[in-house]
Amino acid sequence: MTEIKRLFRYVIPYKWWFILGISLMIIAVAAELLGPVVIMTILDDYISLGEGRVLLEPIIQLLIIYAVIKVVHAIVAYATQIVLQNTGARVVQGMRHEVFEHIQRLPIRYFDNLPAGKVVARITNDTETILQFFTVVLPTLLVSGLTMIAITIAVFYINVFSGVVMLLAVPLVIVWMILYRKYSNDFNHTKRERNSDMNAMINESINGMPIIQVFNREKQIYDEFGEINEEYTKSATNLVKLNSLTGHNLASTLMSLVFAMMVLVFSMMYLSPTQALSVGIMYLLVDYVTRFFNPLFDLVNQLEVFEQARVAAVKVFEMIDEEEEPVETGELTDFDGRIVFDNVEFSYDGENTVLQNINMSVGQGETVALVGHTGSGKSSIINLLLRFYDPTSGEILFSDSNSREINKKNLRSYMSIVLQDPFIYAGTLLHNVRLNNTDISEEQAKQALIDVGGKDLLNRMEEGMDTYIPERGATLSLGERQLISFARALAFDPKVLVLDEATSNVDSETEQIIQHAMKVVSDSRTTFIIAHRLSTIQHADQIVLLEKGIIKEQGNHQTLMALGKDYRKMYDMQVVKG
Amino acid sequence: MIVLLLVATNILEVIPPQLIGRTIDAINLETLTFEMMWIIFGIFMFSVILTYIMHYGWAYLLFGGAYKIESILRMKLMQKFLTLSPSFYEKNKTGDLMAKATNDLRSVNMATGFGIITLLDSTTFMITIISVMAITISWQLTLVALLPLPLLIIIEVQLGRMIHKNHTKAQEAFGTMNESALEVVEGVRMTRSYVQEDAEKERFKGMTTSYLNKFMTVAKLEALFQPLTIFVVSMSFIIAFGYGAVLVNNGTMTVGEVVSFNIYLNMLIWPMFALGMLFNVMQRGNASLDRINDVLDKEDDVGDDASEMLSDTTIDFDEVSFKYPSSHRQNLKNVTINLNSGESLGIVGKTGSGKTTLIKQLLKIYPPGTGQLVIDGINITKLNKKELREKIGYVSQENILFSRTVKENILFGNPNATEAELEAAIVNSAFDSDLARMPKGLHTLVGEKGVALSGGQKQRISIARSLIKDPDILILDDALSAVDAKTELRIINNIKETRAGKTTIIVTHRLSAVQHADVIVVLDDGEIVEMGRHSTLSKKDGWYSEQNRYYLTGGDGDDRN
Repeated sequence: MTEIKRLFRYVIPYKWWFILGISLMIIAVAAELLGPVVIMTILDDYISLGEGRVLLEPIIQLLIIYAVIKVVHAIVAYATQIVLQNTGARVVQGMRHEVFEHIQRLPIRYFDNLPAGKVVARITNDTETILQFFTVVLPTLLVSGLTMIAITIAVFYINVFSGVVMLLAVPLVIVWMILYRKYSNDFNHTKRERNSDMNAMINESINGMPIIQVFNREKQIYDEFGEINEEYTKSATNLVKLNSLTGHNLASTLMSLVFAMMVLVFSMMYLSPTQALSVGIMYLLVDYVTRFFNPLFDLVNQLEVFEQARVAAVKVFEMIDEEEEPVETGELTDFDGRIVFDNVEFSYDGENTVLQNINMSVGQGETVALVGHTGSGKSSIINLLLRFYDPTSGEILFSDSNSREINKKNLRSYMSIVLQDPFIYAGTLLHNVRLNNTDISEEQAKQALIDVGGKDLLNRMEEGMDTYIPERGATLSLGERQLISFARALAFDPKVLVLDEATSNVDSETEQIIQHAMKVVSDSRTTFIIAHRLSTIQHADQIVLLEKGIIKEQGNHQTLMALGKDYRKMYDMQVVKG
Repeated sequence: MIVLLLVATNILEVIPPQLIGRTIDAINLETLTFEMMWIIFGIFMFSVILTYIMHYGWAYLLFGGAYKIESILRMKLMQKFLTLSPSFYEKNKTGDLMAKATNDLRSVNMATGFGIITLLDSTTFMITIISVMAITISWQLTLVALLPLPLLIIIEVQLGRMIHKNHTKAQEAFGTMNESALEVVEGVRMTRSYVQEDAEKERFKGMTTSYLNKFMTVAKLEALFQPLTIFVVSMSFIIAFGYGAVLVNNGTMTVGEVVSFNIYLNMLIWPMFALGMLFNVMQRGNASLDRINDVLDKEDDVGDDASEMLSDTTIDFDEVSFKYPSSHRQNLKNVTINLNSGESLGIVGKTGSGKTTLIKQLLKIYPPGTGQLVIDGINITKLNKKELREKIGYVSQENILFSRTVKENILFGNPNATEAELEAAIVNSAFDSDLARMPKGLHTLVGEKGVALSGGQKQRISIARSLIKDPDILILDDALSAVDAKTELRIINNIKETRAGKTTIIVTHRLSAVQHADVIVVLDDGEIVEMGRHSTLSKKDGWYSEQNRYYLTGGDGDDRN
């Protein structure tokens, strides 16, 4: 239950609103309980004692009082709801912002093994369940608790026996709640688990639909899905069974049982030598007992939501407790583009070393090409450069400043990156080029796109730069997406340009255009290129050949060719003399 | 059966208040005896227990039934998803389709379970109670006291409509918020390298605020329910007591009857309230059912009634023109290619020139354009879709792997493959050395839930998946873009060797991958601009030779070294 305690910490900034809500609630409960007292007075003082004749005038007066009480009750109840809902919604909004900001500061490694859908579920879905806790469960809990306590006191005050009978139901309810939680937990758990399995499977199947269809595997997927669905339905049906046995049914049965006992109490009191109860008091007791059980029903209904909110809170807090990356205070001023790798060693997991003894000195405006087979450590160098990770030992110097001491955001603001798998945002073409950076004008963004060879692409777009591109750039080919991400890199006018196999998906003609553009723009920029096609990197100032995390050869095209080793072999293999 | 149980339960539920009323009357009139007390208590207990059992019966039957319906509908939906073609998926967002299979189905479940229960329960319950009130107590009082209650239903239905409308808006706002969070997480490297954290945060804050406002609009409407109920019900109570007092005065009613009457009145509130809610649940269920039926009624635009099969794989494109359902221009124009069985075809051309579109014609996933596409002398429209695809191995541009083990992903191409065939497919797709480095080898989990693979690794698993099928026609759609030159050469050589005598189609950006092809086609803007073998094309003055020269000299066309 510590997570519930922790949830309340989020209420602190809104505590006055919260206190206001509870105060209003107390007034509402008082108004609710006052109503039946008026009715009791009518019954006792004016109807049952009337001996056939009833005085209508005082009854009408009392009924008017009753009406006034009810109007007050209605208004206060409304205000209570609004105040509590609003407070709850704001508390959760604050929480959402916290989670969102928090994930922005988590190390990249956190995202490596976690599906995006799960992370998003924490930010939106789980917090939404917690919202339910604040806006539904908590108010119900408070109103119900308050009402039940008030009624218990009132009933005991009026008639001790009835009070005892009514309270007899309470331990029963507690036992039932415990048992219910115990049994329903399993079913609920499987049900939710299977539900998310089904979701995942639908998502994956839709994304992989072409493959499923072309490979004629529809039946297999259908059967697998059927199995999960079957399990889901089974646990859901078990839950239905349990709920039908307990739930509302049991609650109303308990209420009827208490009534039955009260019939006994009333009768006994009448039949025994002690005095009988008046009609009004009996009415009042029956009414109060009904009102005692109503909140009990509500509480029982909220059990499941409460449990879900608790689980959601656990998950959200787990994420919040993930350690954030430290924020360095160092600023890189007067960065001229010089970068030095000094004896860098790196490992992702602390066991397998992926980079070793990396020494490179890159001058201002120089171009470095990283080549080597898949898994040789090229991408790891890029990861270190952008400080997605830090070296295990050794250091990377940006204009003589140790990268570890430079604020990450500050450092990255000097760099632009183009990844092999270009990321496209849902939004206009313009937004995709300049992102949220309005310092880049529409003209500049357009020019960047044309400079990287996207003129044809732009012409194909119905509404030019304002053309809407759907999620993940679904309407564009891989090559087109790559062009956009190139334009993005260019538009940001960086000191350092990082191209991670950026041209692998464009045709050689487009590549030529890009190459040409890059030549123009990389003059004053330090550029890191990872490329498979050696033809594209011959003009690099430095070519670094990596193998299993170690630099095997280093130098420009001519020296490496002259060396006549691995680089030359690779080159000869690629450039087949026709 | 269910209805009978319900009616019986409702009648039973009327007994307790009657008994309380009788007891109070008996006490008031001083006629109560011990025997009478025990009889009343006995009947009371009996009815309570019976009610409990019967209530269980119908609740279980109805809610259980609702889940069955949900389950059946879900399977139907999945079945449909599996038959629909890409043009459907271009028009519908994945998130929305998922919502149909979960949220909408839940609304339907609510409507069929809760909805029908409420409908049956509240109507029979109300009728029972009202008749009891009218018959055993006083029909005049019943009539007058119930006057305000229909008002409750009317207000509720109106409110429900407004809530529904605003709720939809709130859901949309939630969806946008969700999308924005998803983008930030999926594009986390982009966001960070372009230092967009703060801008994204502001954007996200705007979205949470917009959601908060819409949520509060709904909350304000929903908060009206309680005070309105209090108000309307109080009116009924005032009438009941005011008029009740008059009737007691006349001597037409006893005090106990007034008490019973009020208990009944109390019991009527819930079904009244439920009836109002029912309209909304039903409305929501209906809307959801419409959304589901939208999908279920979609005809597969390719059709699956053709029955012809193939034995040979001669492929003839004859003046084929094609336009995507959502496109505004022709994506293929008068394409004519003849490819004999066993020959290899290379397709090259600029980005966006229609290479992928051309090979997708063979997969029969879009409705046909104009012109004839003939395989083994049979028009593709007459070929059975399943049979055709049985012959084809396809490696798509996007690397689609499933959240399963490497082995399962490869066997997706042919579940009945032997260990030796699996081994061969892995070696031929040059995935063997990578596999050796995987933590659990063939049993490593990949896909979204599994280990992160590089683009090249994913491509090679996709290739192995197609090779293990040993298809008559193998189609590689730019499937080697992320592997290095050495690996590419190895894969191309393996394919040439193992697939001698079988048709292979390769779409690529690198001419090296197609130079041994029997036919090479150069596409530009959906048209064939050059066609022939490497030897002829490289001598002709055109795009191909230009690219070839560029490639050979390795870089700039004007700067030989």
